[in-house]
Amino acid sequence: MKAKKKPLDVKKPEDYGVDMTPRLTVLKTTEPATRKAGVKVADVADLVNKLKTEAGVL
Amino acid sequence: MAVLLIAEHSNAALGGATAKALTAASQIGGDVHILVAGHNCAGAADAASKLTGVSKVLVADTAHLANGLAEDVSALIVPLMANYDTAIAPATAYGKNIMPRVAALLDVMQVSDITKVISADTFERPIYAGNAIQTVQTKEPKKIITVRTATFAAAANGGSAAIEKIEAPGANGKSSFTGAELTKSDRPELTSARIIVSGGRGMGNGENFAKYIEPVADRLGAAMGASRAAVDAGFVPNDWQVGQTGKVVAPELYVAVGISGAIQHLAGMKDSKVIVAINKDAEAPIFQVADYGLVADLFEALPALEAELKKAGH
Repeated sequence: MKAKKKPLDVKKPEDYGVDMTPRLTVLKTTEPATRKAGVKVADVADLVNKLKTEAGVL
Repeated sequence: MAVLLIAEHSNAALGGATAKALTAASQIGGDVHILVAGHNCAGAADAASKLTGVSKVLVADTAHLANGLAEDVSALIVPLMANYDTAIAPATAYGKNIMPRVAALLDVMQVSDITKVISADTFERPIYAGNAIQTVQTKEPKKIITVRTATFAAAANGGSAAIEKIEAPGANGKSSFTGAELTKSDRPELTSARIIVSGGRGMGNGENFAKYIEPVADRLGAAMGASRAAVDAGFVPNDWQVGQTGKVVAPELYVAVGISGAIQHLAGMKDSKVIVAINKDAEAPIFQVADYGLVADLFEALPALEAELKKAGH
């Protein structure tokens, strides 16, 4: 096991001139607004009717 | 200091995402200057100058910027950043291609995919495929930001900003444009469509998309989308994919057909105003986010829907 005999140098990022200061601060993490489950429609006619009258997208 | 907004455009016209990113840029505060980098792009520059809230349009018009290669456009942006604190672009394929390169060249950390501007250095953005919203504050001297356009309304027309020509550095030469293969379609583009009809694995095969979804989409003037399952199965082309690894859309009406509603798909469409789900499995998770759910076999429901829409005069 030659690998085990190899010297293991511990270096710091600074040794290579790398700045590790975090640049982004996480202020808070929240749950997204959840969508509520809607209604089940009985059939296609009902669906089109609801889209027209309730949702107003058609 | 002013905010530099990188315009997404097709040289002749301005992309719709730019007006939405402008809304975010205006919320950051300060003057907003739009950079139009292209070739023969007077059309896009004119459109940009007419948007409300723009104080200046910078136009770099040379041949090697015609196709918006990241190497060349970022070489143009980096020196400009001496005059700006913030550069902002829509998180579309165009913006996501260019901005990370700009950030790397400036040695700053990009803030990607913001959904809300809280202050000039504090933003909200979704993480874990939209399962959490994180508020982050950046300490960078130069802020490089991409905007999730679905959550910002488009800025209105009505401005008249001055157009200023600027010189672009020479072509970088590391990459060059060889060609683009675009899917031509008379349909509206997915990310800007008012109505989207999407199909999933339940469609069974590609022919069924044409046979069942297309007539309904035609009636509604809708764009057609798909879940990853349908794209991976080879039913439809890649650029139809809606979801975490596809397009993020927020139409007024989203019709999900034969889509079970995996979280990765929901991440791409849950900002839609009204969601309709048609699925024969009543337990499918899509019904938990749908405003209107129809438990039915799609091969019967879609022709019926088409007939019903026809009756209703669509």
